[in-house]
Amino acid sequence: MDQSSTPLAETKTAAAAAADAGASRPALFALYGTLEGLRYDYPLVLVEGEAPVLRPLTGIMDDILRRTAPPGTDGEALRQHVLRLEHAIRRRVARGERDSLASLWWRCAAELLAASGEAPFGPLDTDLDRAREALNVDGLVIDCDANAPEEVLVHAWKAVYAAKGKAFRKKVDGLILRLTDILKAEFMKSDAARTPQALELSIGSSFGSDFDFGALSRVLSHGSAHTPALDARQERIQRVLQVLKSQRFYPPGRSSERKPGQPNPHNFIFESCAEALDAFRERLDEIVDFVKALVIAELEIANKYRADLHDPVFEAFDESDLSAEQLALLPSSLVCLRDGTTDTADTVRAFEALASGLPIKVLIQTDDIVGDTSPEPSRTAFGVGSAHFAGMAMGLNNAYVLQASSALLCRVRERLIAGMSHDGPALFSVFSGAVKTASHVSPYLMAAAASEARAFPTFAYDPAAGPDWAARFDLSENPQAEADWPTHRLEYEDEALQRQAEDVAFTYADFVAADRRYGRYCRPVARADWRDDMVPAADCLMLAQAGEGYVLTAGADNALYRNVIDDKIIEAARRCLDAWRRLQELAGINNSHAIRLVAREKAAWQAQAAAATPEPASAETAEAAPAVTPAQPAAPAAAAAPEEPQETAEHAEAAGQSDDAYIETARCTTCNECTQINNCLFAYNENQQAYIADPDAGTFRELVEAAESCQVSIIHPGKPRNPDEPNLAELIARAEPFN
Amino acid sequence: MTATMTQCLLRLVEEHHTLADYQGDVVPRWCAGCGDNAILAAMQRLCRDEQLPPEKTVFVSGIGCSSRLPHYMHAYGFHGVHGRALPVAEGVRLRRPDLHIFVTTGDGDCCSIGAAHWIHAIRYNMNMTVLLHDNQIYGLTKKQVSPTSPRGLKSNTTPRGAYLNPLNPLTVTLGVSNVSFVAQAVDWIPDLLYDIIAEAHRHHGLGFVRILQRCPEFMDHRFDEAVRDPSKTRILVHGDGLRLKPELSRIYHNKEVHDPLDMPRALAIAALEDEIPVGILYKNPAVPCYEDVREAERPNTPDLIRTVLDEEFDKVTIWPDEQEPPAAAE
Repeated sequence: MDQSSTPLAETKTAAAAAADAGASRPALFALYGTLEGLRYDYPLVLVEGEAPVLRPLTGIMDDILRRTAPPGTDGEALRQHVLRLEHAIRRRVARGERDSLASLWWRCAAELLAASGEAPFGPLDTDLDRAREALNVDGLVIDCDANAPEEVLVHAWKAVYAAKGKAFRKKVDGLILRLTDILKAEFMKSDAARTPQALELSIGSSFGSDFDFGALSRVLSHGSAHTPALDARQERIQRVLQVLKSQRFYPPGRSSERKPGQPNPHNFIFESCAEALDAFRERLDEIVDFVKALVIAELEIANKYRADLHDPVFEAFDESDLSAEQLALLPSSLVCLRDGTTDTADTVRAFEALASGLPIKVLIQTDDIVGDTSPEPSRTAFGVGSAHFAGMAMGLNNAYVLQASSALLCRVRERLIAGMSHDGPALFSVFSGAVKTASHVSPYLMAAAASEARAFPTFAYDPAAGPDWAARFDLSENPQAEADWPTHRLEYEDEALQRQAEDVAFTYADFVAADRRYGRYCRPVARADWRDDMVPAADCLMLAQAGEGYVLTAGADNALYRNVIDDKIIEAARRCLDAWRRLQELAGINNSHAIRLVAREKAAWQAQAAAATPEPASAETAEAAPAVTPAQPAAPAAAAAPEEPQETAEHAEAAGQSDDAYIETARCTTCNECTQINNCLFAYNENQQAYIADPDAGTFRELVEAAESCQVSIIHPGKPRNPDEPNLAELIARAEPFN
Repeated sequence: MTATMTQCLLRLVEEHHTLADYQGDVVPRWCAGCGDNAILAAMQRLCRDEQLPPEKTVFVSGIGCSSRLPHYMHAYGFHGVHGRALPVAEGVRLRRPDLHIFVTTGDGDCCSIGAAHWIHAIRYNMNMTVLLHDNQIYGLTKKQVSPTSPRGLKSNTTPRGAYLNPLNPLTVTLGVSNVSFVAQAVDWIPDLLYDIIAEAHRHHGLGFVRILQRCPEFMDHRFDEAVRDPSKTRILVHGDGLRLKPELSRIYHNKEVHDPLDMPRALAIAALEDEIPVGILYKNPAVPCYEDVREAERPNTPDLIRTVLDEEFDKVTIWPDEQEPPAAAE
């Protein structure tokens, strides 16, 4: 929120101040009487079909201007026209109009044109047309109201559901295609495919007269290998196909794929956790059958299904065999719970659902953080406990947890999608800001204030992000997360109409001051009655100063008041601060363990440094100290003599010393020259390369001829083993070049 | 990461294939000394070492001595018409993304009649391994010059000697856009032949390997000098390419450390005339494969095809008055 000066009158009587107390709001809110004129995160567009799924209207308009408006003064008119259109859309949405961006655009553009009195195709018309062409997204436009959290969450869930459905259909259709191919191939081998009629159908009518299908059938039917095992396989594949095609977890990709009479896909959005858990139990058999069909399909496609091994496995397969990886293929359930409309008992079921590890996404929408001022919260309200529900859910360790107010939903949209995509359970705790007893403040401001005041801090916990809290927990979306309370610059006019400015912390006490229920715990004091012993609430909370704690508020006439707050509010604020500091520790901010460790290490280091400090040496001592000679560099290691490459001849020489014939098997090119001469003397090893299998299985002549014909000269005949072999002298001479 | 249920159940039926499981029933009819034998042996070793299921492996060939290889492998094979091995293999790849595809083609089959398919197959970069058995002659038809025959070679069709300079398959392939893997091997160094084919197989994309191959019948002594003198062979080594075993290092001293991503240097090496470069000239895993780029959102099951066709026909169907046309498809 931008800060700027606000003209606040300083003179006000105490009585008038008391009368206005019910309409007072934190001083930092004074500028934001109406949000229509401002550009901020709302209205939001729930974008259809593409990422990101949530975009603020301002972001879309800025994107259009970036792409269409020339820089500088040339594009100024276009910018003004588009911003006027944005303002018109914002006004309509704030009045409760609900429609798609495209429809709102057309209506508002027509309205602006009519109001301007311009003729068609004039500058306004042309500019808006040009901008319209650059609009490449569409979706429902919503304002920040009591319905916003549910609308946003349902939209995000649907986006993830659609993406998962795409991936699911691709996987399942791939399996269906492969299984259909297998059945087709099996059919082609069957008797039914070899009848004359079937063959005629497969050839087609164009060439039918060229074939004698009866003769063809008789030829093909010879030796057809058909076994009962093939029948069993076909039946199994048919069953699996039936299960895969009739799944009800996702709708078909195209509306025309739905066959008449086909049951609708399952619904996965529920109004209570009990309904969601019951639905899961009812569908369990279907889930088990589907998962079994998936696994069997994969085995069949890999041609690895063995009935003797796998049939018993699948007969015993039940829900206890379902794994998280298999369940991740299927859609998650979404349960939307709401403060004031949901039975308290269902919040207990919500916890049970989260603890179960099932893929259930739970939205808990809170419309009232602080609760009534009576001692006990009402039966249907979560009371102050609702703000801690998310903290409790983190303790389960397996659930994705996101807490944010409505004002920040767009900023945390990536985390929203991550939570919806998380394989296990997820909790989304959202404060809508639509507090009935603070109706004079817009829900957006109340929601933002709750984040600022640490009454409803924004955090995310992703158990899959890493092994430790540093990886999993994130507090960074909170303003000035390292401080107890965020501080902002407040500018005002004093009684002399001079501009004044001071840094003001926005605390829990400032937040509750906007709620009419807490008006009786606040006492507005006009400027004339301010005293020195009044201290800002932030300082009071730290017990830094004694005195009456106050928060700065603005009345209905924008007069500045110090609203003295009761001890009850101070105690509540301290509890809030305590909870905030706990979250900071989890996020590694002001972590008490780390601080103590650092202090201990620092003390130890200082003690060590102090102990190691030598006494100042005398001049004589310095002269007597032996001169330190620089260490002599080590003699360079003798360079390793480069290894002389061993020639083949050396290898040959070493081997030839034994006079035996040998082959350099590793260099054999499998050319069959030697094996064709004598396949008992020469044989191939497991790599199809030749070696001397039996030196006595052939003659020396054969060895020499093999050596001569070897393409790569790797056969070395050695010396003859049989001295009586004829023509040895000639053969030895011929063998000489190869030895 | 824990194994999926399917992976666990697959392990129950793990089969181990030996080299004999990849040997076809037909004994190779190549000439003794033919380099095709070495290539066949390397292929069978690769299948065994990678444990490629025979029913998931297919060899596609055209016409020529090289193209008899599918008959000698115990796997699926398609012995097609002259010059058309590559388009058939591309069709197999599109329809069956789960298969291991090898293309065996010759210098005539690939570089002559199949040249157009060759260029576009490189460009499409579909995932397969292409082995060009280059013996620089038309051998099956008994000695006619091919596009890679050396100038001056006398043959049945060039009794006065070949008139033209030969085509260099390496420089041509490297010059095609989207090329992702080019290597050269020789059949007389079986270890390197195996390593190069294995690298081509592991590469995701079209792995093109030109194999200089001896033809003892019609091109005898063509590569004698290179076989006998290791210095005539330049081995390309690199951390991302080939690594030379110690026993080969002792023989082949003519080495160059060549980065497979260095295209200009690859082109220069490919153009060498006095030496035979052996190794991986170019390897770029980042080039996308056509089948990945064109992967449909959903596989085209028979039901989906029928649905889409019905949608299109419904648009132009004249519906009887009493019948409601179906709602427009999303």
